[in-house]
Amino acid sequence: MKQLTAKRYLVTVFGAMLVWLAVAAVALLVGAEDIRSFDADALWRVIDYRLERVLMAALVGAALATSGVAFQALLRNPLAEPYVLGVSGGASLGVILGSIFLPGAMRAVTILRAGQAVVTLDTVGLCGFLMALLTIAGVYGMAQRRGRLDPYRLILTGVVVNAFFAAAIMLTAALAGDRLRNEIIFWLMGGLGGLGSRWEEMGLAAPLIVAGVAVFAVQAKGFNLLAFGEDTAASLGLHVERHRRTAFVVASVLAGTSVSLAGPIGFVGLIVPHILRMIVGPDHRLLVPLSVFGGAVFLTVADRLVQMIPYEVAGGLPVGVVTALCGVPFFIILLRRGRRMGGGAT
Amino acid sequence: MDGVSFAVARGELVGLLGPNGSGKSTVARLVMRLLSPSGGRVLLDGVDVAGCRHGDYARRVAYVPQESRAAFAFTAMETVLMGRGPHTGAMGFESEGDHRTALAALERVDAVSLAGVLLDELSGGERQRVILARALAQEADLLVLDEPSSSLDIRHQYDLYRLLRGLARREGRTCLCTSHDVNVAAAYCDRLVVLGGGRVAAIGRPADVLTADLLEQVYGIRADVVTQPDGRLVVLPRIE
Repeated sequence: MKQLTAKRYLVTVFGAMLVWLAVAAVALLVGAEDIRSFDADALWRVIDYRLERVLMAALVGAALATSGVAFQALLRNPLAEPYVLGVSGGASLGVILGSIFLPGAMRAVTILRAGQAVVTLDTVGLCGFLMALLTIAGVYGMAQRRGRLDPYRLILTGVVVNAFFAAAIMLTAALAGDRLRNEIIFWLMGGLGGLGSRWEEMGLAAPLIVAGVAVFAVQAKGFNLLAFGEDTAASLGLHVERHRRTAFVVASVLAGTSVSLAGPIGFVGLIVPHILRMIVGPDHRLLVPLSVFGGAVFLTVADRLVQMIPYEVAGGLPVGVVTALCGVPFFIILLRRGRRMGGGAT
Repeated sequence: MDGVSFAVARGELVGLLGPNGSGKSTVARLVMRLLSPSGGRVLLDGVDVAGCRHGDYARRVAYVPQESRAAFAFTAMETVLMGRGPHTGAMGFESEGDHRTALAALERVDAVSLAGVLLDELSGGERQRVILARALAQEADLLVLDEPSSSLDIRHQYDLYRLLRGLARREGRTCLCTSHDVNVAAAYCDRLVVLGGGRVAAIGRPADVLTADLLEQVYGIRADVVTQPDGRLVVLPRIE
């Protein structure tokens, strides 16, 4: 019942960041390999690899969780999540088509930067991102009604678009050869690992994700007002159409970026906002920054668990499997205990 | 609607009456800028409201809708604090002063004890009081209420209007209420504006406006308008 002062905000956000740093540190040092006996060289390689995955988990987790918060607020529906409007379908199809049709030589684009640094970009991921952008534009166009972005039309359009892409992906998988089909299925589970270094892709995605989160942080007050409907929100000073358009585009771009980086990892965007709501309540001014670190922690933990499974048992299990498996029981426990979940009628 | 024209003076409690579909809600929404007029203008203190910026307007006009449901589990206090939205910055950080204003608003509607309760756990009447508190927290000079008592029991209906009249008299706030209930409106409003057939059928004090002829003309009912010895005006429809 206390008011949210700037001081309380900063303290909470800083606290969340400390929690994430602690979790990240543990994730770097604890793993399937016991690093205490390693020599400096091997140690560096392992830490480097883990650092990449921890940062990737942070980026993707933050993007998915904040996108989930935004979609739930925009659609006034606690069941909304980042993939509800079809962006993941589009990005996935883009990645799959890219990996089929791009000849081997074009898989990686090498850019020579001024000086000596060589930057290698995975073009398949870029294909996914471009398809995501096209999907966003398409959904945006289809969901317009008299110049306004209608929430109901958004959801229906999303359903249609998701169905379309699901069918297209199934068709592609059916027509593909066995090896490619396995790759597609594996990729669709969503995972943070990959062949080769992903630093360049993360370097491209990071500013986008940070910018998106910053926009949401400023939009959080508006998300609170929207919970009472557009009329009330407008009467309290919110520029409803502009707010909605911006939030939709940013949330979709964050979802598309995540999928292009790590495939369609499920559950994070749905469950992290709910867990946070049970802890701090539905105030979006807190939910947005906390879901940055909440999503990062969630995905980091899930990924670390996945990596600790011995290779012989289930090698290279995608993290998307774990997010769903671990997410469900945790969610049920909190559901039975928590009171401030969801809300009234939409 | 054609040719609807009326003025509301500062500090007045004005009731907007009329049958279903006569345009009461439309007028309320026009004043709130949720709709824009295809012809004519809405003026606030002589200035066309269309030119006002969103944030400015929210500091001058507050809205109490007919019913309020929140998509997420906000408490009464959190709801009222949102009324400070037009006064807080982009990030929405609240000050000690904002908290005091919100608490004072809850006091005025006699709902301080409900502060920590989830909005959806309140009864209809309690919820309406909290929403009214939110409008008060906006510190706006004009309150527009769209059938504020339609889901309230008889006691809370009268309580609400008594509260509105108090706000108008003691704080000089202007209140424009649409209403279905002729008797409650007649009891508390300074003036009534009666809409019918897309135009204004009558404007004036309740005693002057509410006549059997007007009621028949506008609502299509046959009624007796009775003035009690203590001055109360009561509309009694004839039961066929």
